[in-house]
Amino acid sequence: MSSVAVDVLLGLAVAAALVCVAGVIVMRTSLDRLHYAAAATTVPAFLVLAAVLVREHVSSGGLEAIAVVALLFLLNPVLVVATARAVRRVEGHE
Amino acid sequence: MNAFTIAATILIALLAPLGLLAARRRPIDGLIALELGSTLSVLALVCLAEGFHRSFEFGVAIAAAVSSWIGGLVYARFLGRWL
Repeated sequence: MSSVAVDVLLGLAVAAALVCVAGVIVMRTSLDRLHYAAAATTVPAFLVLAAVLVREHVSSGGLEAIAVVALLFLLNPVLVVATARAVRRVEGHE
Repeated sequence: MNAFTIAATILIALLAPLGLLAARRRPIDGLIALELGSTLSVLALVCLAEGFHRSFEFGVAIAAAVSSWIGGLVYARFLGRWL
């Protein structure tokens, strides 16, 4: 039962990552691309974390996976804001 | 191969179109592709660590998450100032 849950969670995570990559490639403006790039640290990351926790529970590996996803989720908004400011400067809005 | 290694393989394969985008579009779009690529790489490292049952490899993913974040910030500052 748990292996089915892991498979489903990982399948959803990969599908979400595919959507993010497709969005970055297809979108026309840099800010739209940035939106999809930022989304990769939320949905796919938490789905991968859920798959790891289903298999590992709260062992040392599970705790380290929580640390990785927490770092991605908490640090990435700072990077998104810095990149958005760079986009505005490059495109001459400031 | 288990589900985690297959997922890691697909995540690594997704870096190829991002590399093409970074090579062909403007530098600022390349930076965005780089940021997404670093996120996917961290997730692939998590999947590989779990897929091969090596818990110490989660430390590599933590180091990659922090270092890629710092690198992205440096590139964003550089591109915003000098381009």
